[in-house]
Amino acid sequence: MTGAVLALDPRLRTALAELVLTMADDEFVSGFTDSEWTGIAPILEEDVAMSSISQDELGHAKALFELLATVLDDGRDADALAYDRQPDEYRHARLLDHARGDWADTIARRFLYEIADEARLASIGTGYPPLANLVEKLRREERYHRMHATVWIDRLANGGAEPRRRLEAALAALSVDAATVFTPLAGEADLLEAGVVTRSLAAAEAAWRGDLTSILVPLGLRVPPAAAEPPVDGRSNHSEAFRWLWGEFTTVRRLDPTAVW
Amino acid sequence: MASARKPAAGHRLEPWEVFQQAKEGDPMRHGGNVLAPDADLATHYARELYGRRQESHRLWIVRRADIRVLEDADLLDPPLDRSFKKPGGYVMRGKLEAARAKAGTEKPRARSEGHDRTGGRRSAGDQA
Repeated sequence: MTGAVLALDPRLRTALAELVLTMADDEFVSGFTDSEWTGIAPILEEDVAMSSISQDELGHAKALFELLATVLDDGRDADALAYDRQPDEYRHARLLDHARGDWADTIARRFLYEIADEARLASIGTGYPPLANLVEKLRREERYHRMHATVWIDRLANGGAEPRRRLEAALAALSVDAATVFTPLAGEADLLEAGVVTRSLAAAEAAWRGDLTSILVPLGLRVPPAAAEPPVDGRSNHSEAFRWLWGEFTTVRRLDPTAVW
Repeated sequence: MASARKPAAGHRLEPWEVFQQAKEGDPMRHGGNVLAPDADLATHYARELYGRRQESHRLWIVRRADIRVLEDADLLDPPLDRSFKKPGGYVMRGKLEAARAKAGTEKPRARSEGHDRTGGRRSAGDQA
């Protein structure tokens, strides 16, 4: 693996690190937000399911941060990358800045994100084999997450007036940030040229819109409208909700960053 | 949250029984059950509770209401002596020994070893 990393030219390495960091932060933040349901989900079975999905996302984040550590090779390990940054240094999509909210908020956010994540994972080529190998494994687990979110969208849409009203309100509230997973990356052209990705983020976003349309329209739900221009700051300028979450998930780490577990 | 906990009509939670198979070819064994409002979520919950640690190769998820239950004592535990319906009620050993003595043959070794019903797991030491 070190050989492959050393073979990267500096520009491609920077671009690759940016891509992997956005993927890792997305999984990390969504995993922590959803773990807020542990103990208070609607029923016991769902509590186990949501907690397990959150653990999966944190597991994906761990694998991506470990890969990022080898790409950056700057002495930071996965834990340092995950926990030792200030809130403004995180690069997750603003879609994931939204707080846990009620069950409909969580399902709507998870649904928009899971479908977006699949479109992004489907864009990863073989240009950097360690990433391609990892993505192949991630996609097998993400398939279940997507099924879970989609089943719940269907249930809330058809679950009577109150669940449907809440779902529509949640989708509307998220709509402005829905596409931020596809915020352009500075090094996108280099990634495309090296085959690390096989299509642009704009093309992935178009695929995501197609997937959303095929699920939401038959349920009579509105697909978040496309912005006239891609969001420039879709991965910065994080919300107060995220700053609170950051305080929570770094609490133990900040007590003693050198502790050995 | 009170309203969220009250399922809409036709979406009531009900029990689903989960059967697990540890590996291909193994028997399906009853694992337990989950509460779920429909088959899709029952499948998800079964996966989470009985399959997320790679302990299952296959799951069967069966709505409990769809299971035919028989627990009628008249049918399963009749009052009269039925010992003659059990294989153990018809002892062949004495008759076989007499027949062998008459014919001058010995008990086949391989069959006598397999006769303990443990599939050969019982060691010679146990038999001693």
